[in-house]
Amino acid sequence: MSLLINKAQETAGKPVVLEDLVLTTAMPTTGGSKMLDGYMSLFDAEVVAKLEAAGYGIAGKANIGEFGFDLMGETSYFGACENEAGALVSAASQLLSASEAQAVVGLDVNGVQRRAAAQAGQVCVKPTYGTVSRFGTIAVVCSGEAVCVSANTAAEAQDVLSAIAGHDDKDGTSLPQAVCEKVKTPAELAHKKIALAKSLTAAADEAVKSCIDAFVAFAQDAGFTVEEIDDALLVAARPAWNVLMSSELCNNVSRFDGVKYGYRSANAETIDDLYTNSRTEAFGELLKNTILFGSEMLSEENYMPRYDKSLRMRRVVVEEFARLFGEYDAVLMPACSKMAYTPAEVAADKFLCFKENMFTAPASIAGLPAVVAGGVQLVGPAFSDAALLALAGQFDAASKTPVACEASEEVR
Amino acid sequence: MNKEILVRLEKLNQLRLTEEQEAETLAFFAEREADMAIVDAVDTQEVERMVHVMPLENVLREDRAIEPFEREALQAGAPAAEDGYWQVPRTVD
Repeated sequence: MSLLINKAQETAGKPVVLEDLVLTTAMPTTGGSKMLDGYMSLFDAEVVAKLEAAGYGIAGKANIGEFGFDLMGETSYFGACENEAGALVSAASQLLSASEAQAVVGLDVNGVQRRAAAQAGQVCVKPTYGTVSRFGTIAVVCSGEAVCVSANTAAEAQDVLSAIAGHDDKDGTSLPQAVCEKVKTPAELAHKKIALAKSLTAAADEAVKSCIDAFVAFAQDAGFTVEEIDDALLVAARPAWNVLMSSELCNNVSRFDGVKYGYRSANAETIDDLYTNSRTEAFGELLKNTILFGSEMLSEENYMPRYDKSLRMRRVVVEEFARLFGEYDAVLMPACSKMAYTPAEVAADKFLCFKENMFTAPASIAGLPAVVAGGVQLVGPAFSDAALLALAGQFDAASKTPVACEASEEVR
Repeated sequence: MNKEILVRLEKLNQLRLTEEQEAETLAFFAEREADMAIVDAVDTQEVERMVHVMPLENVLREDRAIEPFEREALQAGAPAAEDGYWQVPRTVD
């Protein structure tokens, strides 16, 4: 088990941990992969500069699964993390529980951080796409991934989000400063209505549903109306996201070839051997499968019926959310199907992350802010990040006294 | 999807799978293909593709000279380098 894979020699300021897809000059950046074991970046990510400018200190780098898109860090070259009950956990959530770190800043590629926060009773915000610079993060799924913040409380998450949000000329997808500022201050939730995603909630177990029930009761007490909605189009986000994620990942990791940096096979007599043996020996099984799937989705035969179809599906999901936000302030849904995953489950189904992301794909494919707190997920309109955090924070505080969510059987 | 296509994909992506891994990969592809039925059920004939979720501005800016990275620093993490060049196996006989 490996939590903090690199510890800073000195930490000045409020300690923040970075997940290992964020480039740092002071410590290696591995992306959880053998391919980048020991890799030293020549520059810091923009979020590092912004955190330091705001008085935070980088305390270390947290272990992640290979390139951050797995279920719960199980594919890390440095080993998966388990808690005392034998459940898989993210290094970030363990560090938040067991260290002085005020927050963990990572890259939400495929929802790991949101699942981890839901299971650990922590808070995670995946901000509106384009409001936090991705310059200096290892690109995996450029069209949907976002720098995210995990913390023990919504207030701490908001503080860190406010520190790192802002325009960056170095990131071609960075939004103008005036727009980025919107995620720092909560706007009023004018509709006073929350939509409850029916099928997504039905797909979760009783422990997760108890968290949803607790949120519904909280929201109603706070004057919100909660209505169940038909979420069929949101459910359809997952397969489309899987196609887009795999296709973009396939292209992004093609740069890792063993020539200029990273792992090189010792068994390479020709240049083709060098490429093939280096990638074959360094990449894990999930990554290889995802590369191959993405490559096939971009083939002449599949480009239109699969890749192009998924891009059209993205618009369908975006428009469905827009329709919902004409009536509701947020969509309430789980972030995961259960409150713990065991290593045995993942061993039995190595590709579980392609199914369990049904809860995180809708916000990822649409670039919308998603906040997890108290074991539930709220997805809101673009730039409603602070409002979602404020509402989720109130729920989180209420749900912690007394504990409102039942633990899953496996972790009792 | 079949073994022949998979072997071609492996070659294209500079990867090599074992027989056992190939069987798992074919099952993985079959799962993903089955998933797509949910998407296929949605009529997107008249829907425009969406590459970016945000309306992005052109970020081209004026060229300006900056200090480049030192060659030595760039090659510090190279698997093999000599005299300022990256070393690879012979590519031309």
